[in-house]
Amino acid sequence: MIIFKNVNKWFGSLHVLKDINLHIHPGEVVVVCGPSGSGKSTLIRCINQLEPIQKGEIIVDGMEVNKRSTNLTKLRSEIGFVFQQFNLYPHLTVLENVVLSPIKVKKVPRKEAEANALRLLERVGIPDKANDYPSQLSGGQCQRVAIARGLAMNPKVMLFDEPTSALDPEMIKEVLDVMVELAREGMTMIVVTHEMGFARQVADRVFFMDAGQIVESNTPDEFFENPRNERTREFLSKIITHN
Amino acid sequence: MLEHFSFRVIGQYMPLFLRGLWATCWISGISIFFALLIGIIACGLRLSKGRFLKKIAGIYIESIRSTPLLAQLYFFYFGLPTLHVNLNEVQTGILALALNSGAYIAEIVRAGIVSIPSGQVEAATAYGLNYLQRMRYVILPQALGVTIPALLGQFIVLVKDSSLVSLISVLELTRAGQLMASERFMPAEGFFTVAAFYLLIYYILKYLSNWWQNRLIYMEGH
Repeated sequence: MIIFKNVNKWFGSLHVLKDINLHIHPGEVVVVCGPSGSGKSTLIRCINQLEPIQKGEIIVDGMEVNKRSTNLTKLRSEIGFVFQQFNLYPHLTVLENVVLSPIKVKKVPRKEAEANALRLLERVGIPDKANDYPSQLSGGQCQRVAIARGLAMNPKVMLFDEPTSALDPEMIKEVLDVMVELAREGMTMIVVTHEMGFARQVADRVFFMDAGQIVESNTPDEFFENPRNERTREFLSKIITHN
Repeated sequence: MLEHFSFRVIGQYMPLFLRGLWATCWISGISIFFALLIGIIACGLRLSKGRFLKKIAGIYIESIRSTPLLAQLYFFYFGLPTLHVNLNEVQTGILALALNSGAYIAEIVRAGIVSIPSGQVEAATAYGLNYLQRMRYVILPQALGVTIPALLGQFIVLVKDSSLVSLISVLELTRAGQLMASERFMPAEGFFTVAAFYLLIYYILKYLSNWWQNRLIYMEGH
């Protein structure tokens, strides 16, 4: 589904991704964790080419992300992306936020797109907010709208960039619940997060990144009970004592 | 002093003033329309990735902003016919006003666009919208919202600048005042009336802008 072959990325002289190799299968849920600045967000932002890479190859559903001939619009419409800061369009209602890309990019008729959007809003638990503006919603509700917006493109993969980091604690659960359900329905997901409970519950694999490299990749059980890498142990001891 | 002020003659000249007022309104209206169009396009080019297009937009904006409108107006009025481009006075006036205001509007809109958080562009990009769609559906509606006060200021400047087209013998508001001043030798009455009408237009524009802004604020639900 998603393949990285020797991927390298620099920001100027800063080497942010170093020889990343990975293979994510359809239906797999992968959690990426690691200290800030380790390249987690950059890793997933490369998948839909929000960030270009300088060396190596990324293949998503058979499409080479960084090849000139690749249809980026088609690629991006197969990848849902959920941002830490939601990035909903503030001048559009919730419903319009969800239907914009299906109508403009996928050319879905408005009626059909709206019916689908209402179903998705139902699924993320906020069907009654369709005509509100994002500024009238709580953070948790915004993030659930953002998930619905991602699902509206009927993507093959959903990427989450620290989806709960900007939320008040009491709103984290409502967002995680939606994500857990999504994972159980078989969506391929890559989630950058420090929600270790979520990782234990639904992840098939957990990646630990440090200084631009994936230093450990394992099943959640092995990862938490039996971390092999020194840096992983150190990191886990820090975040787990705080939980 | 006031006993010398002839309201009667102003009354006599009212049909002429109203014709002038009407001309000022529609010349300004059309110019504003084209200025917005030109401004948005120039701004789009300036922010685009194409180095050549960027340069062209930059040259246009800089050269307009660094030269007086009157010089630009004379360039089009006296210069274009020698290049075998024949426009009448009104068309020349609209051309000069729209090109002039367009350059300022380009900068105003650019300031609005760069004030939109980069996350908006990222979200729109991640969801497959192309450059034009991002501009049309995500960036411009927000940018125009925050630039309304500055745009209104520019519209008011344009209405006032439209008085310059009186110099190429277009009958508009200021020209009506000039005619009254020279025919009846009553410059005080003539130009006072002219000023009063400009004030009227100013208040109408200001009212419209407040109404528009309130509507936007309501839409964003703050």
